[in-house]
Amino acid sequence: MANKESQSVRQLLMSLCIVLAGAGLVWGFVTSRSGDWVQTGLKFFTGEGAERWLSWKVDGLTMFFLFILLLGQGFSSLYALGYLKEYEEKKKSLWPFYVNWFLFLGSMFGVLLADDGFSFLLTWEMMSLFSFFLVLYENEDHQNRRSAYIYLVMTHVATVFLTAATLFLYTKTGSFAFEVWASGAPTLTTIQLNLVFLAFFIGLGTKAGFVPFHIWLPHAHSAAPSPVSSLMSGVMVKVALYLFLRLVWLTLGPGPVWWGWLFLLVGALSAFVGILSASVQSDLKKLLAFSTIENVGILGIALGSAFLARSWNNDWAMDLALVAFFWHTLQHMLLKSLLFMEAGNIIQATHTRNLERLGGLLKRMPKTALGALIGILGITALPPLGGFWGELILFQSLWTNTLNLTNGWSKVVLPLAIGVLALVGGLSIATFVKWFGVSFLGQARSSVTERATEAHFVQVLAPLLICGLAVLSVLWPSATLALLNLPLSVLRTSDVERIRLALGTPLNLSSSYLVLLIFLTVIVVLLSKRGLRRVTATWNCGAPLTPSMQYTAGGLTNPIRVLFAKVLGSRRHVEGDFGGTRYSLRSLRYEGRIKEVFEDFLYRPLIRGLVWLATQIRKLQEGSIHLYLGYLLITVIVVLIIGR
Amino acid sequence: MDELYAVLTRLLMGLGHLALILVVAPLLQGFIKKSKAFWQMRQGPSILQPYRDLRKMMKKEELISEHASWIFLLTPRVAFAATLMAALVIPNAWGWAPLSGWGDLFLFGASLGLVRLFLTLAGLEGAGTFGGMGSSRELFVGLMTEPALLLGLIVLAFITETTSLQGMAASLLNVSPIFIPRILALITLGMVSVAEMGRIPMDNPDTHLELTMIHEGMLLEYTGPSLALLNFSEQVKQLLLLILLTQIIWPSGLITGGDGFLGILWALGFAGVKVAVLGFFFATAESLFVKRRLFRAPHFLATSTASAILALVSLWIIRGQI
Repeated sequence: MANKESQSVRQLLMSLCIVLAGAGLVWGFVTSRSGDWVQTGLKFFTGEGAERWLSWKVDGLTMFFLFILLLGQGFSSLYALGYLKEYEEKKKSLWPFYVNWFLFLGSMFGVLLADDGFSFLLTWEMMSLFSFFLVLYENEDHQNRRSAYIYLVMTHVATVFLTAATLFLYTKTGSFAFEVWASGAPTLTTIQLNLVFLAFFIGLGTKAGFVPFHIWLPHAHSAAPSPVSSLMSGVMVKVALYLFLRLVWLTLGPGPVWWGWLFLLVGALSAFVGILSASVQSDLKKLLAFSTIENVGILGIALGSAFLARSWNNDWAMDLALVAFFWHTLQHMLLKSLLFMEAGNIIQATHTRNLERLGGLLKRMPKTALGALIGILGITALPPLGGFWGELILFQSLWTNTLNLTNGWSKVVLPLAIGVLALVGGLSIATFVKWFGVSFLGQARSSVTERATEAHFVQVLAPLLICGLAVLSVLWPSATLALLNLPLSVLRTSDVERIRLALGTPLNLSSSYLVLLIFLTVIVVLLSKRGLRRVTATWNCGAPLTPSMQYTAGGLTNPIRVLFAKVLGSRRHVEGDFGGTRYSLRSLRYEGRIKEVFEDFLYRPLIRGLVWLATQIRKLQEGSIHLYLGYLLITVIVVLIIGR
Repeated sequence: MDELYAVLTRLLMGLGHLALILVVAPLLQGFIKKSKAFWQMRQGPSILQPYRDLRKMMKKEELISEHASWIFLLTPRVAFAATLMAALVIPNAWGWAPLSGWGDLFLFGASLGLVRLFLTLAGLEGAGTFGGMGSSRELFVGLMTEPALLLGLIVLAFITETTSLQGMAASLLNVSPIFIPRILALITLGMVSVAEMGRIPMDNPDTHLELTMIHEGMLLEYTGPSLALLNFSEQVKQLLLLILLTQIIWPSGLITGGDGFLGILWALGFAGVKVAVLGFFFATAESLFVKRRLFRAPHFLATSTASAILALVSLWIIRGQI
């Protein structure tokens, strides 16, 4: 009886979430077609004057990210409708989930709409807190508790920096309003401006997952229930990137050239480290989380190119970089949510996140596999799907930026970013071939996988809907460009139509490529159809084939691990037991470890230093009355000298 | 009406472009095999043998592993189609490409990447060790060829100030053939081509030993029409890379509309000779070297990447911009 009740509660709440998202999207489509407010912004619930706080504003930039958020909310809620059923069957209370789910979504709305430092900090902190509770939802597992703890600590370190920057700007300008900050920014000295920028960079970069502030992300994104992972990876990191545009691009102004370089270099580092760590992972969801770091890095490179072009007054390269940024934001949101959903389906079917135990799921979960295949095609930045076209525009932006520079070593460094992106592309092919191939193809590697069955209807529907949208965005690029126009009209002042005209034609290539590729494939399929087919065993030199003969997830990318052993800090330990003889091997123990390089070389020394400092400070307060009397004496003397 | 006429002409020329590439690709394979036989002092199979092989395999029964799924059958078809997509951006004998425009040089590498993704997935389909071995190695080599290929092409794009392969071929006519950045970029692309074609020292296309094979490992489960398609697309890819290289080494032979039928024939013949000479060069190189260990492959490809970076630096130094 109780079960039935909770079932209807689940359906009601999640449907409410979907309906709200749908209504928001429809409202957005209707209103964003007209009006100057897209550029100037529409304020609401906002008092007048410089003293105001708790003020809110919608403009084109916000609209774009609201669109991302509403899409994510709709699809994730639809998916959660099916996913949460398992908790119901386990008799786990879902109320903590519902409450935090709604509050998390609401606080992300708040961050996007905030128009002053106070409401920004308030909603930002709420967003961190409620996502922390959602990560902690499966708290029976102590690994998850640890992940949530790391997340909480890191996100608070970030908030410290953001609070410091906000309060500093408040004392300088006497207001929390972003507008007043923007007009006050030119009056700051260079050092002050740079310090505020760095504080924002660390604070927001932590949430976005820039290396080296990324250590929480793979833990938190993989520990959360899958609908939450898809929302965190798809939407929450984008909210942090939105704030880079809002607070740095629009408020702090153009800034010196090195801001652009910082974005570019940190972006390149994040992309490389993220995908390299992903390629050697064998945890289904951690791999996806590391790939999120990679994609945030690519977005960072796009931001860097835009910032650089802005300081070099290269409008065309700036437009391209911004288009690439928003295009990739949209694509990554779609595809990463999709992949996390498919990972969730696998986890519910097999109850394991370990790739080494999966295999052959394509025949058991065909619809999940179809969605996952389209997902990996999109996310590996290969044509015909969206990931590639975003990178193409980014390449063009970097290329134009380089060509227009008159001289300097920048002309070498910028093209090298293209090289890094190509390397990242190659690594991401390896990563996702491993992710898909090991879990869906071949033979089942364990008995749990053999018993796997297809997921619930809506859990299959939601990813496939996303697939449809991802294909549509490529098939109809002018519609996607119209959407990208919203933020562009805020971020740049000159004519936006020009971008559409100039970019419309080359981007139409995306749809013709897709259509041509499908057309050619169909022709080849039709031409090669005749002939007999027979199902037989796999050739195995005559010996029977066992599941353990397949390549493992670790083995498939082992060459990469060997090549980058120094970067990854990978270690292996092989122990053979020959049982006294020289030649007959009885058993073999293999142990491979990947060091968490940034945790070992950056965070642990930092923590040790802090602890050491704390113990030193503690010596001041030894508990001895004589010492305290001594302090009193010294204080009195100092006061007397000063007050003389 | 005029517009329709223009579109139809374009379509027909595009189809002709693809048809020509499809017809010539096995011939090039036969020629390279013959050239290798020449250095090994053998008679070697006929130059037409690849056509016969393809025809024979198209007629054969197809065996499919019991563990394989629909991706196994889809892969050869998609791989073939994606190779053809790469063919659409390659400038032909007189420097014309059916699909040309803004940034199509990125499309070439990316289309080959799509082939790689599907091939490596198919390698895992059979649930055997050989396929996985091939996939693992192919992914490893692929991630290193990609930056080198892209950087090499980017340098040429900087020299010619266009990101379209068709435009690059046309502009390279006005660049001195011994322009140092151009030579360095050529070295890069030559080394990448060796890796992409799966030739010695990266891979050995002639063996089926598990110690050496990369590409063949992934194809081990394929038979009949599927194998024919995969071999065919590999031959097409080889031809595309050689055309790309010849258009960089010596892009002349371009014709204008007034040259007529004879001009087309002249351009085709000239291009054919260029590709044949280059094919003979690669066959010779293959006969002189031995296949290297897999973990030596990074050195080979790092050299080609370094050469691309050197090309970039030297380009800006020559132009006085550093």
